[in-house]
Amino acid sequence: MKRIIIAGAILLLVFVATLSHSFYISSFTGHLTSLLEAAEARAEEEDWAAADELTLSAKSRWDAKGSYLHILLRHSDTDAVYTGFREVIEFIQCQEGGEYSAANARLIAELELLAEAEQLTLKNIL
Amino acid sequence: MVIAFVRTIILYLLIIAGVRLMGKRQVGELEPSELVLALIIADLAAVPMQDFGIPLLTGIIPILTLLSITMIISVLSMKSVKFRALLCGRPSIIVENGKLKQQEMQKNRFTVDELMEELRMKGVNDISTLKYAILETNGQISILPYADQKPPVAKDLSVTPEEAGLPIVLINDGRVLDRNLQSRGYDRNWLNKQLKAHGAKDPKEVYLLTADELGRVYFSSKEDNA
Repeated sequence: MKRIIIAGAILLLVFVATLSHSFYISSFTGHLTSLLEAAEARAEEEDWAAADELTLSAKSRWDAKGSYLHILLRHSDTDAVYTGFREVIEFIQCQEGGEYSAANARLIAELELLAEAEQLTLKNIL
Repeated sequence: MVIAFVRTIILYLLIIAGVRLMGKRQVGELEPSELVLALIIADLAAVPMQDFGIPLLTGIIPILTLLSITMIISVLSMKSVKFRALLCGRPSIIVENGKLKQQEMQKNRFTVDELMEELRMKGVNDISTLKYAILETNGQISILPYADQKPPVAKDLSVTPEEAGLPIVLINDGRVLDRNLQSRGYDRNWLNKQLKAHGAKDPKEVYLLTADELGRVYFSSKEDNA
């Protein structure tokens, strides 16, 4: 009976941990996405300094969780987001409106897809 | 990660069901759940080992999940006969009173050639000498000959042979196993006498030396080119 309790506890622990991770990723990327959208709104108002500040803030949040994300997500996905941030920041500094908008949209999509892939949905399971 | 967890459970149960449907013959010597575990776990470990772009946890979470499910299944199958029958199946009688039970063989995808091969390996040439042949849940065949076809044992012949017990290895490829020597109640002096009696000067010249509970010694010296 002891063995079945231990095995059941491990299963429950893994399930809760993985489920918490999917909720955390969803909330974390949601926050980053809202910062990037706010940055884009500022850029449309030609306030490049504010857009730069918001994007750097999003990137620093991403960097702060670098190890966690690297351990739990596919490295190709985390690398793509990192590259996306570098690209967006470069376009902000060059004040290239059209290019920035496209790169920012791509980065937001990557973050949304990252979170979506971790959600416990029938679509993902199948 | 939670997707990996749920997928692992679904695939594990699906493959167990698949192995059960394949019939006992394909199972080999393992129970279905053990076979499935062996099939999946090696692959799960190999993927993150080879692909550095995949987190190690991608392999660890499914392996932990599989081991936990296997533990639960093994405990449940020990506690419940019905659950065990569902998971591993029941033994099938394929020969009864010297007659083949063809339906049972078909149900288990067991061919006549396979049966004949298994019977030959067990030294049975004539099916009519069998009271029962049973296909066990691990895919092995057990045979029970008619009483008049069973080889006689010492008791049947009213003889009382000496109980030699378990022979213990005392020298293994030139190495003296002192622990075994002491457990049998012998010492190095006894061993040296045995070596001398068999024409050896040193334990290094001996490949295998065993002694049973009656003190009978088996001696095999090393070959020159070994």
